[in-house]
Amino acid sequence: MITAERKPITEIEAMLNPFRRILVVGCGTCVAECAAGGEKEVALLSSALRMDARLKGRKIEVGEVTIDRQCVYEFINELTGFVDHYDAILSLGCGAGVQAVAGLFPKMPVLPGLNTKFIGETKETGLWIENCRACGDCKLGYFAGVCPLTRCAKGLLNGPCGGSKNGVCETNPDTPCAWQMIIDRLEGRGQIDLLQTIFPPVDWSKYEGKGPRKIEREDQRSGS
Amino acid sequence: MAQQKKGPVFAIFFCQQLDARQDINRRCLEKEFGSHIRFFPIPCSGRIEPLHLLKAIESGADMAYLLTCGEGDCRYGEGNIRAKKRVNYAQGLIEEIGLERKRIVLISKKIDAPVSIDILVREAIAGNDMLPIQWNGHNLQVDD
Ligand code: SF4
Ligand code: SF4
Repeated sequence: MITAERKPITEIEAMLNPFRRILVVGCGTCVAECAAGGEKEVALLSSALRMDARLKGRKIEVGEVTIDRQCVYEFINELTGFVDHYDAILSLGCGAGVQAVAGLFPKMPVLPGLNTKFIGETKETGLWIENCRACGDCKLGYFAGVCPLTRCAKGLLNGPCGGSKNGVCETNPDTPCAWQMIIDRLEGRGQIDLLQTIFPPVDWSKYEGKGPRKIEREDQRSGS
Repeated sequence: MAQQKKGPVFAIFFCQQLDARQDINRRCLEKEFGSHIRFFPIPCSGRIEPLHLLKAIESGADMAYLLTCGEGDCRYGEGNIRAKKRVNYAQGLIEEIGLERKRIVLISKKIDAPVSIDILVREAIAGNDMLPIQWNGHNLQVDD
């Protein structure tokens, strides 16, 4: 999932300042899972914004709605008509959600209420960790399901670096050494020989440098 | 909640496990304070959400209290530990909009003897030095 964190209220307030009728739109998927932009967070932020305005003597109206996914047209389309009452949308989706909503309502200012952080996993309640950089050339099969590009601080495909101590990374004692995890898992499976492979430098052209990436699947598309 | 208020309005969230005679014990306070006090029983303090506390303030309370049992006493394990973290989060949020953190208060009471909710609340209110919130206007409906 995509993880995100709420922006500070002062920053949100500054963005919303020119507008009086604001619709706070949550997303019920990734950002709900990481407790940043789901229904609860929409209600909480809306309440805070209303009180903030009252304290400052500003008249505003804050509407609340949460759709299943802000990055899929069919769900965003549920807002059609409903948004007309408002001057601006504060999106609590990830960056993809904000842009998708803005794309459907080009006349409406759509502002980001969150800072999108990374692709990650819910490690435990209240803890999310980054574990994929979306490199476009997944090699997890060689690394026992631990991504060295993301989880090794140095992004080494031919690790370990030699600096890890007691299973933690030398750059940060809070971070488990990804290479220790890879080796432990491969040893446990009797597959340590997978590490005989020497990996060439990462082909970052699959990752960046040519504008936004896209995936096209003809079998999934409608029309001819 | 009271609109024409002289003193602060109190919202009291409390864990129902605290006081077996809660309904009787809180009634005298409700009579005495009228619309200046409002009780919200919750089955375990761990069920509190920051939104409950913010909504209480948004709808007229000047102070929101959460009464819980002491750490280690929660019959569901760690309800009061969670409650403390959520109170902390809500305090941070109201601070961001310029309200004082101490408008949201957590009171943990070690249950080594029977607890009476009215005594707890009286103590809490007696210790309050916050005045009613000075709102500078009303939002809700925007005229064209
Ligand atoms: S808009 Fe972003 S947060 Fe919401 S479902 Fe799509 S990817 Fe996930
Ligand atoms: S190798 Fe790592 S960064 Fe690349 S796709 Fe796989 S998990 Fe993501």
